[in-house]
Amino acid sequence: MNNLRLVEHDDENEDAAEVTWEDQQRINTFSKLNNRMRSLEDKLHELQQTKEALDDLATELELADEDESVLYKVGETFLHMPHNRAMKRLERDQAVLDDKLSSLGSRSDDCQKEMNELKVALYAKFGRAINLDE
Amino acid sequence: MAMATRSVVSEEKNPRGIPKAPFIADVEQFVGGPDGDADVPLKAFNDAIGKYRFMDANLAQRRQGLEEKIPDYQKTLDMVEYLQERREGKDKAADDADDLDDNDDDVAETSAKPLRTTFELNETLYAEAELKDTDTVYLWLGANVMLSYPIPEAIELLKSKLSAAEKSLANTIEDLEFLREQLTVMEVNIARVYNWDVKRRRERREKEAATSKG
Repeated sequence: MNNLRLVEHDDENEDAAEVTWEDQQRINTFSKLNNRMRSLEDKLHELQQTKEALDDLATELELADEDESVLYKVGETFLHMPHNRAMKRLERDQAVLDDKLSSLGSRSDDCQKEMNELKVALYAKFGRAINLDE
Repeated sequence: MAMATRSVVSEEKNPRGIPKAPFIADVEQFVGGPDGDADVPLKAFNDAIGKYRFMDANLAQRRQGLEEKIPDYQKTLDMVEYLQERREGKDKAADDADDLDDNDDDVAETSAKPLRTTFELNETLYAEAELKDTDTVYLWLGANVMLSYPIPEAIELLKSKLSAAEKSLANTIEDLEFLREQLTVMEVNIARVYNWDVKRRRERREKEAATSKG
């Protein structure tokens, strides 16, 4: 209750559109989707960084000496593995990461689409009485 | 006029037992007519909001714990699966020793040598270790308990723990979203009842002023 303020009498009873149950549900859903989008974007950002790291690693490995054993990080420890094994493992890890990226990306797109539809409906009814943008 | 005490939360609950907040469509009817008492529902709403916020904090904590555990499980699983692959490669190489193609050749070579790792002894301090071929791994189960498992069972256990944690995380996130919605509905209810009360007080004042003048 910390953002209640006294409204001037004249401002009080403008033609404020009445909030029906459906409107409330739309607002709730919008808020839920907004929060979901934010956490999806954070995760996507992290995955992007990991992807860049793996891509850099791929370049490094291609340039590295083929007889040298590579310290490949599995879990929390580094395993000494032969060069070609490391390459194969890297390809596998990259494929898994790309899968995750694409699934998160499509979930984020779905959220965005739903949010846009809700925005249209809510702005149509409430106009300036509601704010749905950052 | 006696007002029947109405429960502020509805009977509906979500799958994990969180009660749903009712949406007050008509304030006057909810309070019990134009002379109804608005303070009692307001207090009940505030209590309900307090409970929802408490649940929200709990769930947020649980979610954080799970989000930390899940990558841990994944890393341990990766490592154990790697050990398994190595053993399988070696067995395969032993079986068809006559017609080694390039792949098996490499695998046979590497698994003939013991596995070398560089592991974290302490922060920024690493040590090298050589692992002899083994068919058991030791898993830390927490609470100062560590058990040895044969590798396939270890993989089973880790996979089941990982999927249970992921499911629990999904449930917790769903509960959190549900909770936020109920919290919003409750806050909106408070605002509406309060506004209605303010308007009613003003109307009463105006009526009294009008009657006292006339």
